[in-house]
Amino acid sequence: MQISLQQVAPTFIEQEKIASSQVWNKSIVFQPAEKIQIIAPSGSGKTSLIHFLYGMRKDYSGDIAYDEKNIRGFDAEDLATYRQANISIVFQDLRLFTEQTVLQNLNIKRQLNPFHSENKIAAMARRLGIENKLNKLCKTCSYGEQQRIAIIRSLQQPFDFLLLDEPFSHLDDNNRKIGLELIEEECSLRKASIILADLRPVEHFKADKTLNL
Amino acid sequence: MNLSFKHIDPFLTTDQNKASRWLSYIGLGIGVLLLLCSIQMYINIDALLKNKNAKKDGYDYISITKKVTNENMAQDHSFSDADISELKKLSLIDDATGLVANKFLVKATGGGAVPFTADMFLEAIDENFIDTLPPTFNWKEGQTLIPVIISSDYLELYNTVFAPSRDLPQVSEKTLSTIIVQLEFIGNSGTQTFRGNIVAVSDRINSVLVPKNFLEWANQQFGNKVKSDPSRIFLKTKDANNPELLSFLQQKDYHINKDKTKFGRVKQVLQMIVTGLAGFGILVVLLAMVLFSFYLQLMIAKSKENLQLLLTIGYSPDWLSKTVAKKWIPVYIIVIIMAVVVTVVLQWSFQHFVMKDREGLSPFVNWMVFATALLLLILSIAINFRLVKKLLYKL
Repeated sequence: MQISLQQVAPTFIEQEKIASSQVWNKSIVFQPAEKIQIIAPSGSGKTSLIHFLYGMRKDYSGDIAYDEKNIRGFDAEDLATYRQANISIVFQDLRLFTEQTVLQNLNIKRQLNPFHSENKIAAMARRLGIENKLNKLCKTCSYGEQQRIAIIRSLQQPFDFLLLDEPFSHLDDNNRKIGLELIEEECSLRKASIILADLRPVEHFKADKTLNL
Repeated sequence: MNLSFKHIDPFLTTDQNKASRWLSYIGLGIGVLLLLCSIQMYINIDALLKNKNAKKDGYDYISITKKVTNENMAQDHSFSDADISELKKLSLIDDATGLVANKFLVKATGGGAVPFTADMFLEAIDENFIDTLPPTFNWKEGQTLIPVIISSDYLELYNTVFAPSRDLPQVSEKTLSTIIVQLEFIGNSGTQTFRGNIVAVSDRINSVLVPKNFLEWANQQFGNKVKSDPSRIFLKTKDANNPELLSFLQQKDYHINKDKTKFGRVKQVLQMIVTGLAGFGILVVLLAMVLFSFYLQLMIAKSKENLQLLLTIGYSPDWLSKTVAKKWIPVYIIVIIMAVVVTVVLQWSFQHFVMKDREGLSPFVNWMVFATALLLLILSIAINFRLVKKLLYKL
């Protein structure tokens, strides 16, 4: 399973930025079990790229193919299947259910297509230091805690690709290190690829490929 | 996916506006009940008034007489041949025939079986106007057993009024044919007794009928009249309530006996009322469903963010719409079943308490009611499902 980008470029970004990019308007293939780092200064379309790859937006030219199928042609049901089994994500704006508990947030994703049993949630939460928050409402957690919740949520399903959009912005160095370890373990379990997009290179992340957006 | 509604329930705002939801359930229940009862009542009316409808083959039969006023009391009030052909010529009238009446005294006695005596009248009419004509309705000269057809109204009058007041036994249609009535004809030339045997009951002609050739012979024998002009004419017409016909008859000062068609009219009116009620029932059902759809739209609008997020994290829109719609299926089933049960109880009570277990009316609910209930159930589920799907796909 690979993702290929064929001359993909957002319709709303200036030509100079596209020309100087290593991603936009190029032919790129993301292979299985690859670790890709995308370095993207603000305004370069980092979140847009993540949203394109997740099938959330279509305001780009060119084609994105998953397993040689153009995702632009996916209907609502195809997208649902894609997101249940092939691709997972940590949003920059997290997108958690703020009025529900942490555990409810994690289970609502896990139930859809469980990769782990429910016990594993507690173990992961313990590892990332948010075990005592499981029964608290999401909105009562700090931003850093919510980021860790978002990370755990993304690891509850099977996937071939994990998209991460500034996942550690509010974590200290230690939590970042632990978070990265957890992510890398989970990905090698699945033989999945990591696509990590951030403003600058992420410490402790040993990328196979680095691209400047 | 073995997920169900209970998994996504905490993420949806379903208990907003409970009042409108319950109002729509009640509305649905009332509307369905009204509709089902109307259908059953229509069928009941049909069954109860079945024999009394004189309209056969789409024709009305009415009888007319010449009006008797203070001024013309002394005159002859019979219809001449010219009168009859004038009526026949009218386009509104398909046929007209006169009733011949007895021009002599007739006494009827019950003989040994039923002790009563009464002065009788007898009439005769063209055979093709009689609705229940048995093959035995004929007479040969010399025959003393006379076949008689009486009106069903008279039978009912006898059974409900005459017999109880005189302590006489009631008679059913079947036992009628076993009764022989003695008919004494008294005329200038003498008296003769005949035996009358009731061979049929007519819903159309309100009279006591004997074969025409017999009465004409008897009129000659006992009444000394060569020919008797009829004082009653029966008309066969497509619509007895046609205003043109009515105004013509009024012009000629003809009095109309619309007894039989009135009854048919009553049935028509009753069924119209019931149909109106059914229409109202359908309206109430529709309103209830519209109210419910508002509730659904409100619920989905309030839960919009969460529903969008569920879709974003990979929930299938198809599964979501099915699951959300399925939540209300039990409610519909319960409401409609309750309406059916109430209808069944009402029908049984109506037949037992109001109609006193009358024959011809079933205490059970007609299959059409069940079919309608099932149809309503399927429709309401289908509409609900499509609405939810449409709303969700718009997100």
